[in-house]
Amino acid sequence: MLKKIQKHSRSRFEELGYPSKKLENWKFSSSKHLKKYSSNNSNNKDISVEQYSDEYTLCFINGEISLESLNKFIYKDDMIILDIDELKDESICSTSSNFDKEAFFHLGLSTIKSGKYFEFKEGCKFDTPIQILNVYNKNTEELRISSFNIFKLNQGNNISIIEQDINEGSGSFNLSLNKFICADNTILNHSMMYDDSTESNYLGYNYYELERNVLLNIDSMNINSTFNKNFIEIDLNREGSEVKINILNLARNEQHLDNNILVNHNAEHCISVQNVRNILNDQATCVFNGKVVVADGAQKTDSNQSNKNLLLSQNATAHSNPQLEIYADDVACGHGSTTGALDQDSIFYLRARGIKETDANNILVKAFAKEILQEFINDNIRNLSENNLDHWINGQYN
Amino acid sequence: MITIKNLKASIEDKDILKGINLEIPKGEVHVIMGRNGSGKSTLANVIAGNEKYEVDGGSITMNGNDMTEMSIENRALQGLFLCFQYPVAIPGVSMAYFLRAALNAKNKHDGKEEMDAVEFLTTAKKVLSNLGLDDSFLKRSINDGFSGGEKKKSEILQLLMLNPQLAVLDETDSGLDVDALRTVAKGVNEFKNDNNTVLIITHYQRLLEYIKPDVIHIMIDGKIVKSGDMTLVHEVEKNGYSWLVK
Repeated sequence: MLKKIQKHSRSRFEELGYPSKKLENWKFSSSKHLKKYSSNNSNNKDISVEQYSDEYTLCFINGEISLESLNKFIYKDDMIILDIDELKDESICSTSSNFDKEAFFHLGLSTIKSGKYFEFKEGCKFDTPIQILNVYNKNTEELRISSFNIFKLNQGNNISIIEQDINEGSGSFNLSLNKFICADNTILNHSMMYDDSTESNYLGYNYYELERNVLLNIDSMNINSTFNKNFIEIDLNREGSEVKINILNLARNEQHLDNNILVNHNAEHCISVQNVRNILNDQATCVFNGKVVVADGAQKTDSNQSNKNLLLSQNATAHSNPQLEIYADDVACGHGSTTGALDQDSIFYLRARGIKETDANNILVKAFAKEILQEFINDNIRNLSENNLDHWINGQYN
Repeated sequence: MITIKNLKASIEDKDILKGINLEIPKGEVHVIMGRNGSGKSTLANVIAGNEKYEVDGGSITMNGNDMTEMSIENRALQGLFLCFQYPVAIPGVSMAYFLRAALNAKNKHDGKEEMDAVEFLTTAKKVLSNLGLDDSFLKRSINDGFSGGEKKKSEILQLLMLNPQLAVLDETDSGLDVDALRTVAKGVNEFKNDNNTVLIITHYQRLLEYIKPDVIHIMIDGKIVKSGDMTLVHEVEKNGYSWLVK
């Protein structure tokens, strides 16, 4: 089946070509620099992941699962794990019509060597989160590494997934495609941590399909990526589901961080909350494209979008585009966006108590970030994020 | 303690302070009264070093040290404390974190050891109790969601914890009900001793029913036009400020 999907994607990519700035999703982010990366064909079998993996970790090396980590994986008996090629039902692989318009999505799909399907058995609740470690081991420069994985949660599952990237070697272009299927009465906590100092580029397409009474938490922190563009699309297909998205991006130099979020309220009585904060220094840029579509009949929808950008330099740029598209008449939807520098009155207040100017600035930057971090669902990720934040802030002014 | 000589200051090219002369010796409480827009709060801000204001002339000296060009934080570390008229809310920074940061900055400057968490909490809880505030106050973000009274009590809490040499109270009595006013006055009286100094900026005499001043100054159009004792306050209450305008 994989060959069939890839054939379609190859032809879609040829039709679409590399995205230009004329496209809404790419208006403020150039794809030019991504063209030079060529598909990875290296053999990953000899690369050991022992140093990274414990029994809760699933390691992917250059987009392919490490059998070494899979054998050790504590939850493997509670799951059905298949190659995507083994799936009989093609619809399991389908994603959104919007991703179908994305050239890079098809480029990624058409160049994966394999992909995995993970299905959690009904009723499974894991106390310890699953750690997904994407190890990018690049011996050659200018490699594009694509991956595609599908996660299916069945009735009663309560699953936490923490996704982290480890880049070894030279900079590259990591193209990550994920689909999450959440059946009735499931909880999915998906945390994404990007802390990369190897000048890599990340482009992610994450699609979430939610049925009835699902609770989905997406937490993400980006730090140090040269180029990080993440598409998140969520379909709330049945009533009673709730989505919370908390994203914190920290950027300096000429880094570019970009979040494209689309939440489709297709059913009644669903809640969605988007909180995206960017802190930018130097010439860094960020984009927030957030959209909520409330379908006709999706009454009692409760939705809120908030994007706040803190500019620490006059040369940093934030593009913010919160959008609402509402076709139902009994809904509560709100959105807001603010962009600005540190508040001078607050700095004066802190300094008037004897706190040094740099410390006052740091306190305020940290406070701005912590309002997002305190919403992170996983304690370990929250603590790790706070540590990363401290390191970033200390390197910022001192 | 503090000597201000011919102080001139402006904001966005608008002259506000037009030659202030003021001397407050150690151990005294002075009051500045005046109409809205006379420059009282500007004086408080300029003393504290607010960079929004341009100092166009004159000098501010505290304990013999020229503070006119000193940074905001150095003035505070030298022993100056401004009780803000409108304390800003800073979501995400707890009162405890803020107070400890301020105390430790002061201790470091004074060559003392940093205050540990237990010592800090013991001291803070005692002060909170005197101000009628719950211990949970320390966990709240700075002035975030505080009522008017809580904001002013928060300023007094900081005053008592930091124990400065000079406290400038910028309309600390405004917007307070009688009970809160008493609490604030009690805090100021607790702070006051023979070795420190208080400058109160106010519109009304009601705070002065609780705190006994040594000297009253009347400020009009950026200048101190008259100084005297409490009888001056009663005259202003009775006749307004017009009779003082030349």
